[in-house]
Amino acid sequence: MAHDWQPDFEQLVDEHQSMVYSLALRMTGDRGLAEEIAQDVFLELDRHLGKIETPQHACFWLRRVAMNRSADALRRRKVRRMDLWVEIEESHGVPAEERVSPLGARLEQLLATLPEPQRAALILRYQEDLTPEEIAATLEAPLATVKSHLQRGLKLLRAKAANHLREYVRQTEYVRGVRTDG
Amino acid sequence: MDDFEEKLKRSFERWPAPPSLKHRLMENRRRRKERPRWFALPREVLVAVSLCVFAGVFVALYGGLASYHAEQQRKGEAACQQVMTALRITGHALNHMNQQFAANGRAHHE
Repeated sequence: MAHDWQPDFEQLVDEHQSMVYSLALRMTGDRGLAEEIAQDVFLELDRHLGKIETPQHACFWLRRVAMNRSADALRRRKVRRMDLWVEIEESHGVPAEERVSPLGARLEQLLATLPEPQRAALILRYQEDLTPEEIAATLEAPLATVKSHLQRGLKLLRAKAANHLREYVRQTEYVRGVRTDG
Repeated sequence: MDDFEEKLKRSFERWPAPPSLKHRLMENRRRRKERPRWFALPREVLVAVSLCVFAGVFVALYGGLASYHAEQQRKGEAACQQVMTALRITGHALNHMNQQFAANGRAHHE
């Protein structure tokens, strides 16, 4: 079937640069690397522009390539998960706390400590609002595997968030106690 | 979606892309388009051409070495033939001298 839509590279960049950059940044935790990945992804899109049929296809294609490139970059650089968020906050320019609540910022920090496949699934689920079926298609993984990553990742994140909250409450009570005693 | 998941969704908003990203990207794209055309060939074609060049060089080197060895062998065989001829001539000369010595000895006795 012939399609009337003609891809406009600059317009696609305008529409999707934030998505591609955010996926790469949350996956790698490195602002410079995320920018490099975003550049590579869009230059590859430019080479494959003739094969892109619809705006949805462009979006799906960009997500898939961004996730693949981020995974490749992680494999190459073997970035330690625990250090990811520190680097994001130090190098991004806009501190996480200014954009989201302290709990939200902490959730992003905790996300960076998850294993890579679980992190990828959660990012696509909650940043991109994709269904497990769409995530499976994007990551080219079996649906059951994606569902398992989502469940385990969410469980792990919930447990870590609960621990964090307990720690926060304990510290707050301790500070209150010290003030009362003083 | 429960409360925790809603929080996750709110926390995981997209980051704004750095303002320089698009500018650098468009600049890279322009430079890429200005490169010589063969740079823009698909990677598969470049790999195939490189493989052909390597195969050609390998065949040429192998052929050259084989031809060199054949030439050396031919020269060796020719030299061997010449040595054999020289030995045969020497053998004939020595036989002739022996015969003359023997004839002279017999004449002397008689």
